[in-house]
Amino acid sequence: MLITSLVMSLNQLLPVAILLILLQVIAKQSLLRLLGMLGLGIGLTFLFVKSAPIISPWFDYQGLEYTQIGLCILIFFSALHYAVKRAALAFIIAIMSVMTLYLSHYIIYLIGFWQSNEAAQSLFIGTFLGLGICSSFSVLLYFLLSAIKQRFGLSSILLLLALNSAAKLVVALDLASQIDVIATTATVWDLRAILTENSEFGRMLRAFIGYEATPNLTSVLSYILSSVVFLSVCYFIPKSMAKEQS
Amino acid sequence: MIKRLISPYLYCCIFLSFNVVSKEYLVVLKDHLFYPAEIVVPANKKVRLLIENQDSTPEEFDSFDLNREKVLYPNRKSVIYIGPLTPGRYEFFGEFSPNTARGAVIVTDKEQPNANN
Repeated sequence: MLITSLVMSLNQLLPVAILLILLQVIAKQSLLRLLGMLGLGIGLTFLFVKSAPIISPWFDYQGLEYTQIGLCILIFFSALHYAVKRAALAFIIAIMSVMTLYLSHYIIYLIGFWQSNEAAQSLFIGTFLGLGICSSFSVLLYFLLSAIKQRFGLSSILLLLALNSAAKLVVALDLASQIDVIATTATVWDLRAILTENSEFGRMLRAFIGYEATPNLTSVLSYILSSVVFLSVCYFIPKSMAKEQS
Repeated sequence: MIKRLISPYLYCCIFLSFNVVSKEYLVVLKDHLFYPAEIVVPANKKVRLLIENQDSTPEEFDSFDLNREKVLYPNRKSVIYIGPLTPGRYEFFGEFSPNTARGAVIVTDKEQPNANN
């Protein structure tokens, strides 16, 4: 139970931490805003978990998937908006959406197993360790990305953000094929022999740039296309805005 | 102009036309174990997994091989579509009880007797 809690907490906290750090490296937000937003995000996640049994039966028992697809799309566009315009509201929407999307799974796990006396201690220690590891990782990542930004410029961070955001659209596609809204296409490659998604590095890459060992054609095409669109918008919109101003 | 308006709709219809009737397979989660632990399904066909969580705790159906993830609420049924898949073994597990709740989808070319419809 302790190891499960630790792995679960890391799995669900890492995607939140990575997006937060990427956005924070692009343009720094104040500590007060960050803390307020994290508090709001946790509140929204609890609200989502509490309303999940109500949402679940919607659209022929596919309500949760549709909500999660909506959150993935929201993350992509708010991250893009933040990358272009540095609007604080876009930052808040992106982080609160990613928290709701990922932390809700962990909160369901905590609530579900908390009543068991034997499990409570393991859950607490596992969560505490997970938070500690994730915080240390976030600090190191922040300094690493800041150094990369200084050395190679903002474009390198935008590229990472584009890949991270495109991965959210791939998650939305997987959810859509899970509920039979779109058809699953053929698997393009199988890298399970080289790097599995449940290995430590595989999980980290999955959280960072959406690594999939067995992606299908639709996912690969969408990933490439949405990354290109993201980077193009980041490149062309500020230029056209500068032209208009001059 | 009409062509331009109709084309996206046509593409959408073609895309969604893959949604043909699928074979259904029942999987039960009881005492943090999947029954049956191995589901044999036909190759290159989309199938519907009906998963019934009979435990009093939630579980998360997770599969890296199938790219599927779904929370299974206690005493409720959930549906997941998988495939079409090429022959092989695709593992899945319960993320909340990964040591016990484990199973696999075996995709084969041979005829299947264990579908529910």
